[in-house]
Amino acid sequence: MVDFVQGPLISIAFIVFILGLLFQWIQFFRLTRKKEWGHPPLPREIKPEKKTAGKIVASCLTSLKGTLWKTDPVLTVVTTVFHVLLIGAPLFLLGHNILLYQSWGWSLFSLPEALSDGLTLIVLVCGAYFLGRRLLVARVRAITTLYDYVVLLIAVAPFLTGFFAYRQWFHYETVMMLHILSGNIMLITIPFTKLGHMLFFFLYRFFLGGEYGFLRGARTW
Amino acid sequence: MDQAISNQDMKEVDAKKIKELLNRRKGKMKRFLSYCAHCSLCAESCFLYMKYKKDPRYMPSYKVIHSLGTLYRKRGKVDRKCLNEIKGIVWRNCVLCGRCYCPIGIHVPSMIAFARAVLRSQDIHPQHNEASSESWL
Repeated sequence: MVDFVQGPLISIAFIVFILGLLFQWIQFFRLTRKKEWGHPPLPREIKPEKKTAGKIVASCLTSLKGTLWKTDPVLTVVTTVFHVLLIGAPLFLLGHNILLYQSWGWSLFSLPEALSDGLTLIVLVCGAYFLGRRLLVARVRAITTLYDYVVLLIAVAPFLTGFFAYRQWFHYETVMMLHILSGNIMLITIPFTKLGHMLFFFLYRFFLGGEYGFLRGARTW
Repeated sequence: MDQAISNQDMKEVDAKKIKELLNRRKGKMKRFLSYCAHCSLCAESCFLYMKYKKDPRYMPSYKVIHSLGTLYRKRGKVDRKCLNEIKGIVWRNCVLCGRCYCPIGIHVPSMIAFARAVLRSQDIHPQHNEASSESWL
C-alpha cells in the first residue's frame, strides 16, 4: 500500500489530472463552437480614448467598487489569497522541488522553508474561514451539502497533513503517507468535481461572450 | 381560467419528455451545476434577495440548485407537486432580469430560462389569476 501510494499512484494522479483537464478543455471548446458577439468590439474607425496612467489607475479603482470588493471585501481577500497559495505554495516548496530534481533532474525556484510553512498556515486559516462560513452564515448554509464539506476537505487535507509532517507531529510515516494520498486525491478529483472551477473560471471569464467577461469573448453554448 | 389551472394540476407528468429536454442541454447545464462552488457570492446581485430582507431562497444559486438542479438530480422523474414547487422558484422568485453575477462565470439566467422551458413542456406556467402584489405578472 505504502509503495503504491508513494510510487505509481503519483504518476496515475498526474496523468488523470492532465488528461482530465485536457478532456474538459476540449469539451468546452466543442460545446461552444457557435460564436455570437453579445458585446461586440468597437469598429476600427472608432478609436478608444487614450488614457494616462493616472486615469487608468483611477478607472480601475472606480470599477472595483462595482465588484465583490465592495459587497464582501474580507471574503474577496481571503478567497484570492487561498486560491493563489493553493497553487503557489506547493509548487515552490523546497521538499517538493528536491523530489522533482531527484526524479527528473530539474526543479522550480524554492521559497525558504519558514516562508512556505507560513503560507501553509495561511491556507489553513483561509480553509477554516470557509468552513466557518459554511457552518455559520445562513445564506451559505442554505445551499451547503455534505459534498461541499468533502470538497473543502479534499482541498485542505494536503496542506493540513503537510503542516503536521513538517513539524513531525503524530506518526511521521503515516502522516507523510496521508499527505501524499490526499495530494493525489486532490489531483484526480480536480477535473471531475466542483474543484474543476479552477479551470472553468478562466474558460468562462475569458472565452464566453457576456457582460462580466474579462475579455470580449464571443463563444456561446 | 379555473379550468386551465385544474388541467395543469390533473395532467400526468411526461417524465420521458422532461428527460429528453434535459439531455438536450446536458453538456452546458450540468457543467454549470457541477462547477457552482456554493459560495453564495451571487446573492447581493439579485434585487429580490435584497428586497426580501436577504432571504436565502432568493439567492440566484439557491434558485438554480432547487429548480434545474432538482430536475437533473432526479433525472426528470418528478411529480406534479415538485414541478409546482419549481414553478414558484423560477417564476415568482425570479424575474429573469439577468443582473445576477457569478464570480466563476456561471450564467444563471440561462439556467432559470431553461427550467421554465422544461416546465412549459408540461403545461406548467403562471396563470393570470395567480397574479398578486409580489407576483411575476
